[in-house]
Amino acid sequence: MKSSLRYLTFTLLAALLVLLSACGSNSDKDKETAAGQTSSTDTANAADAADTKADPAADTATSTPAKEKVVTVGIVNSPPTLNQINDQGDSATRTVLALINDSLLDINTSFEFLPKLADSIETTDNQNYVVKLNSNAKWNDGQPFTTADVKFTLLTALNPKVESSFRLSFIDGTNDAGKLEEGQTELSGLTIVDEHTFQVKTKTPIDPNIFKETFATKVYFIPEHVLKDVAPDQLATNPYFQKPEVTIGAFKFADFKKDQYTEVVRNDNYYRPVAKLDKIYVKVLPATNLIAQLQTGDIQMNSLPVGLIPITDYDKLKALPNVTVDSSGPSEPAELFFNNKTINDVKVRQAIAYALNRQLIVDQLLKGQAEVIDGSVPSDNPYYNKDIQLFSYDPDKAKALLKEAGWDSSKTLRFLVPAGNKIREQASDILVQNLKDVGFKVDVQKFDFSTLIQKVLKGEYDLTIFNRDYYIEPSNYFSLFKSDNANNFIYYNNPQADELITQGSTESDPAKRHDIYNKLQQILHDDLPTLSVYSEKRLEAVSNVVVGGKPLNLGTFNNVNEWDLTTN
Amino acid sequence: MLPYITRRLLISIPVLLGITVISFIIMKLAPGNPVDMLIDPNTPPELLDAKKEMLGLNSSFIVQYWHWLSGLLHGQLGYSFSSYAPVAGMIGERIGPTLLLALTALLIGLLIAIPLGIASAVRHNKAFDHTMTGLAFVGLSIPPFFLGLGLIYLFTLKVHWLPTGGMSTLGGEGGIGDTLRHLILPASVLAVGIVGKKIRYIRASMLDVLGQEYLRTARAKGVKESLVVYKHALRNALLPILTVIGTEIPVLLGGSILVEQIFQWPGIGQLTMQSILSRDYPTLMALNLAAAIVVMASNLVTDILYSFADPRIQYR
Repeated sequence: MKSSLRYLTFTLLAALLVLLSACGSNSDKDKETAAGQTSSTDTANAADAADTKADPAADTATSTPAKEKVVTVGIVNSPPTLNQINDQGDSATRTVLALINDSLLDINTSFEFLPKLADSIETTDNQNYVVKLNSNAKWNDGQPFTTADVKFTLLTALNPKVESSFRLSFIDGTNDAGKLEEGQTELSGLTIVDEHTFQVKTKTPIDPNIFKETFATKVYFIPEHVLKDVAPDQLATNPYFQKPEVTIGAFKFADFKKDQYTEVVRNDNYYRPVAKLDKIYVKVLPATNLIAQLQTGDIQMNSLPVGLIPITDYDKLKALPNVTVDSSGPSEPAELFFNNKTINDVKVRQAIAYALNRQLIVDQLLKGQAEVIDGSVPSDNPYYNKDIQLFSYDPDKAKALLKEAGWDSSKTLRFLVPAGNKIREQASDILVQNLKDVGFKVDVQKFDFSTLIQKVLKGEYDLTIFNRDYYIEPSNYFSLFKSDNANNFIYYNNPQADELITQGSTESDPAKRHDIYNKLQQILHDDLPTLSVYSEKRLEAVSNVVVGGKPLNLGTFNNVNEWDLTTN
Repeated sequence: MLPYITRRLLISIPVLLGITVISFIIMKLAPGNPVDMLIDPNTPPELLDAKKEMLGLNSSFIVQYWHWLSGLLHGQLGYSFSSYAPVAGMIGERIGPTLLLALTALLIGLLIAIPLGIASAVRHNKAFDHTMTGLAFVGLSIPPFFLGLGLIYLFTLKVHWLPTGGMSTLGGEGGIGDTLRHLILPASVLAVGIVGKKIRYIRASMLDVLGQEYLRTARAKGVKESLVVYKHALRNALLPILTVIGTEIPVLLGGSILVEQIFQWPGIGQLTMQSILSRDYPTLMALNLAAAIVVMASNLVTDILYSFADPRIQYR
């Protein structure tokens, strides 16, 4: 008995020891990283007194340390990677990349292009584009940024052994996949004129806006002087991309803790006016906490499209005294995709359109912070066709159309809904109710996105709903409808539409393009291969202490170097 | 004892292998793959195919498994499909916070549950006992996410005492105090579930022992009631609890997935969720392996400790 008590004590002590050692090692690690941070910022910003707050030694040296100016941006998903040539299509990654990388041009919410690394991009024939770089541009380690870096970046990213998110198949010398052939070491469409001038030749003339959007605003650069000796197939796992310290942007990388935060600090070597803020955190937190942390001042703003405040919280957000709230322009719509093979009668698709009470979803579920459109293109896109007559809510007409089409009412529609976006799930519930009201049988299946896409690609669905990406360039919205696109998962096939899609993507005269796209949108409206449900106006919340910045659908950080905090 | 441990360790090798095979099969049977998710009609199919080739997704199931296993035998867990960071490093970074959270919760839970469980058993069928059983039931059935959000509302929005989430204050000085402040809420939420479960175990186990003949003998000898309860009964009652605690550790690691999500605790749970959603196979396999090792290790440690605590049990 006595000895068993001793062993029991021993056991409990052992458990305690394990616990303590876990605590200890952990806080040690914390200290280490904290020390690492200060020392790295210290050497980089030796002259900068603002950073000394974290460093007690330097604190005593400077008599009046200024308060650090820090802005924290709230985001819901962690960026998976900070690789500037392979963002994996992830919007969270793009958000952070935009802070530490500059592209040739930037863009604002009115779809206007602003000069960044490039002073100008000019073309006379819509096929040869002359790009003049800002001659002061330099990497944050002081090395000049030149056309050599442009060439290195393009040759690297287009190498077939390198995974990249650049979509540059319009450049002369790339294959259909937008890559170089194996072993090819030159890009024929790229001519280096001098240190600060280069020329890009496209395969065919294209609308300069395509070039500006997909090349000038989406291509970020990698430093040749850091990465020149890395083998292409080893590039992705190179430590540089885990800690991209050498970049070219208003801020530079300081720390990345996946699922927690990304920390960027001011780049004092910036070639444009140096940023006024000292530091920006992009902090990962659940959407339900965004409002709470805005209120407590833990974050100063949300972000679009990955830090969305649920629209159901609109009234609560409006009531916060320290926060200013705006609504964005209409964003990429939640789109209902029909399997045009299983629902091949256009009358049935139209019946579905008439059956849905989309206005109710916008008014009640989204509290009016959205609009109803039919097509894929958001209404503030310059190429949006305003003359299209929208489908109204008319269940009687839907029933009549179904009768006319001879719809077999015993047939069940498989409606796949991705789990995760609560608003979209709730909207889907309303849609299902609407469909049942006119006599459809609906089998709702909820899946995570990966599973859903797999089913959709196999054609194992009749209806599905999700949002695509937000594009400026209209052709990106339409490529889905092309019958020979391998990713045409809706099985839509209309030769007339195919022709217009091809014409639209190669036409370089804006007036003619408008004409083509108006026609195309009308055809897509009549055929109805997809139907948009709502186009959300997202909530943009920013604390009143922030000057000059707020979350936007496009170009949030295009002036981030001018952001500041109010002095009080 | 030593031969026993060696035997157990040797047996665990084929078991672990079996686990990796099964989890690999399940993972591959799950629909979807990391490449098809990147659905964007503007991505040329050649690129998607090239990516599958690069990640080795085009080879047969057996080849893929063999590739993974031979990497493992060379001490390589591979690189994440999404971040291209070494998997071992990713898990290493996360395991500390998860253990800290789970063990703190376990400690808090036991410190509360043991005295309450004993008190409840001693006052069997009295008002206190009924209250405790009722509360234990509430603690057991309250969903962690609900409790978590409720506590955040109360302690950060209403009274501003504690941070809403994370493990350290952004841009703060860090240190143990800061970590503890962040630890309180998530550990409490996890602990509530443990308290609920453990009170019931301890109460039942204690009641069982209290009814034993030798206690009647002790009382008949004139031993003080407090000695009867704390010396004679408690020690025997705690023996089965030891087993339950051992099996609790893997449950805790699983249960912390939800809590880690709510409180943004940078542990294994968050990593697991995201790896599942993005079908990050190498990370998932490593996580499965780690989980299997934790389960087997905690079982083994429990068995060993048990033989120390109760000399009647002998392993040979």
